[in-house]
Amino acid sequence: MIIRSSDQVPHTTLLKRFPIPRNFGVTRESRIGRGKIWPAPKAATRIRALEIYRYDPDSGENPRLDTFEVDLDDCGPMVLDALIWIKNKVDSTLTFRRSCREGICGSCAMNIDGTNWLACTRFISDLATPATIYPLANLRIIKDLVPDLTHLFAQYAAIEPWLKSKTAEPERERLQSPDERSKIDGYYECILCFCCTSGCPSHWWNGDRFFGPAVLLQAWRWLTDSRDEAKDERLDNLEDPFRLYRCHTILNCTRTCPKGLNPGKAIAEIKKTMIERRS
Amino acid sequence: MDPQNMQNMRSPLARAIGLGSAKEGVGVWWAERVSAVALVPLTLWFAASIIAHTGSDYATFIVWLRTPFAAILMSLLLIALFYHAALGLQVVIEDYVHSATRFAAVIAVRLGCCALAGAGVVAILRIALGG
Amino acid sequence: MPSSMTTRPRPLSPNVQIYRPQLTSVLSILNRITGILLSACAVVLVVWLVAAAWGPQSYVPVQAAIASWIGRIFLFGATFAYFLHLCGGIRHLVWDTVHGFDLRWIYISGWAVVAASAVLTVAAWVASASMGG
Repeated sequence: MIIRSSDQVPHTTLLKRFPIPRNFGVTRESRIGRGKIWPAPKAATRIRALEIYRYDPDSGENPRLDTFEVDLDDCGPMVLDALIWIKNKVDSTLTFRRSCREGICGSCAMNIDGTNWLACTRFISDLATPATIYPLANLRIIKDLVPDLTHLFAQYAAIEPWLKSKTAEPERERLQSPDERSKIDGYYECILCFCCTSGCPSHWWNGDRFFGPAVLLQAWRWLTDSRDEAKDERLDNLEDPFRLYRCHTILNCTRTCPKGLNPGKAIAEIKKTMIERRS
Repeated sequence: MDPQNMQNMRSPLARAIGLGSAKEGVGVWWAERVSAVALVPLTLWFAASIIAHTGSDYATFIVWLRTPFAAILMSLLLIALFYHAALGLQVVIEDYVHSATRFAAVIAVRLGCCALAGAGVVAILRIALGG
Repeated sequence: MPSSMTTRPRPLSPNVQIYRPQLTSVLSILNRITGILLSACAVVLVVWLVAAAWGPQSYVPVQAAIASWIGRIFLFGATFAYFLHLCGGIRHLVWDTVHGFDLRWIYISGWAVVAASAVLTVAAWVASASMGG
């Protein structure tokens, strides 16, 4: 009932989904149909069923939900291991992003059992039966579990995530005390997986103009970095009813961050700074 | 959203920047919080008064509303309530309505709240000052 | 655009259709829903006051409607909505001071809001009943 950290998988579920039709409000090309069932090999004893979102851009068909039965004795413990097992042994067309397999690159971010997380740090034993694997929510899908992150990265570029200085470059380092350096703790560690932004209902409805938690967390990272000299411009650029103030402190972001970061808090700090600079 | 840029050849960065920052928004945010802080004691007082007056008849109610304390607090409640409601409803409309109708809806909500607050305050004054 | 060149638009991955309802999102949407309901109640409040201001003839039918059994059901719902929005609102005001953002506190305060609203609603109606309503 009380979640202590974001990696806690809830074991009691009142509602798995909001009680609305599966294809509610969905445009024609996004409607999800029934897919194939891929049974486990006959010799398998420990089996888990995974329902995985599939979309083939070359087939001209709508997305569908395929059910794969995974042999747990033949693959590693993480959801990413299951996906790789499926790709190697069952259906080689299953497409997903992956790289480090240790939760630091952010490539394998996807929606697992209704919440966004990294596939490589989610245990198969923590999955529901059957488990559902969708791509990150509310993004255009290139193929299977691969979303188009172009707009999200463009929003990131729009906050100018680099050190801006007006005074002359120092001879050696730009000095920063340990206390000042600790101010960016909890923000610099973001791996830009976009689990938070993809799970934010406000970004679902206004993602074209609302920057979203990932980008705003990074905006705060630069605002709170003592070496940066452009706080005024940064705050001016953020003070907008959509860019910043579409955040209504829903806090799905903090709940879902696979690195345990707190975008909700970062945004609250930005809003506090906004009021402090005019009072 | 049209990320494939079929109708719109703007670069992704241009689309993310949009029309640029409005450079305002903190005023509305602050006003909503100030009105919220005002509403906490005002609504609690209102709820307590209503509970205390359960079952009272019309005359008792009017006598109570005539007292300066009740009349002033009730007026302040209406003003703070409709101000907070107007700001909140505007945010809701902006969240869900994206066509140009949102401007008409926001104007309707703001004017409606002004009208209702005005009507309520006039009613209270009529009770408090009338015969 | 020649139809032979038309690229099929990419599908949008499902959002509210599949995302798990969590305490965070559910309490937030409840705060919004109760806010909208309370705005409607504010209209009723003004109608009631105007009816009262224009003498007992206009007041009696309005009061009767509120005191009817269907009016009482709405009033009970409105009381619960009010306390949910009040407690939720206070939780938001605390967040605005940048306190209580630890996930543990988000959950504790969330359940506290639900519990407090239920308790306050029942307390209000018990108090009202004991006043002879």
